[in-house]
Amino acid sequence: KHEFEVEMTCGGCSGAVERVLKRREDVKDIAIDMEKQRVYVTSDASAEDLLEVIKKTGKKTSYVGTA
Amino acid sequence: PEYKLVLISIEGMTCNSCVKSIEGTVCDIAGVKSIKVSLEEKTGEIIFNPDLTGENDLKDAVDDMGFEAAIKEHQKP
Repeated sequence: KHEFEVEMTCGGCSGAVERVLKRREDVKDIAIDMEKQRVYVTSDASAEDLLEVIKKTGKKTSYVGTA
Repeated sequence: PEYKLVLISIEGMTCNSCVKSIEGTVCDIAGVKSIKVSLEEKTGEIIFNPDLTGENDLKDAVDDMGFEAAIKEHQKP
């Protein structure tokens, strides 16, 4: 499980992050904590891979670590 | 160059920060001259140079950002 910090300001932002991640077949589960600005991804894909996917949404994203 | 205009419908935007991030990302694509996104009408109006990018590439870029994009109409500005 990977933890990312993503700048999200509204439901549209978190929805966008969720949609791009859902399109990947190797992503098993996504959990979003708006208050903490965190996205938790359960996946076999590498953190760099997932980071690139989230960054495509145009939001400021950084990798926190495994949770 | 001869610029073209494409109107894309965008579903999933809820606030101005969504609008800003779409505008920022699309503006960075080579060949894009300008973009105007309307939150109320759920559309993005993009003026681009067809020699450098295509309307499908622009639609895909918005799609990749996590929004539902579809080409509505295109014409010369």
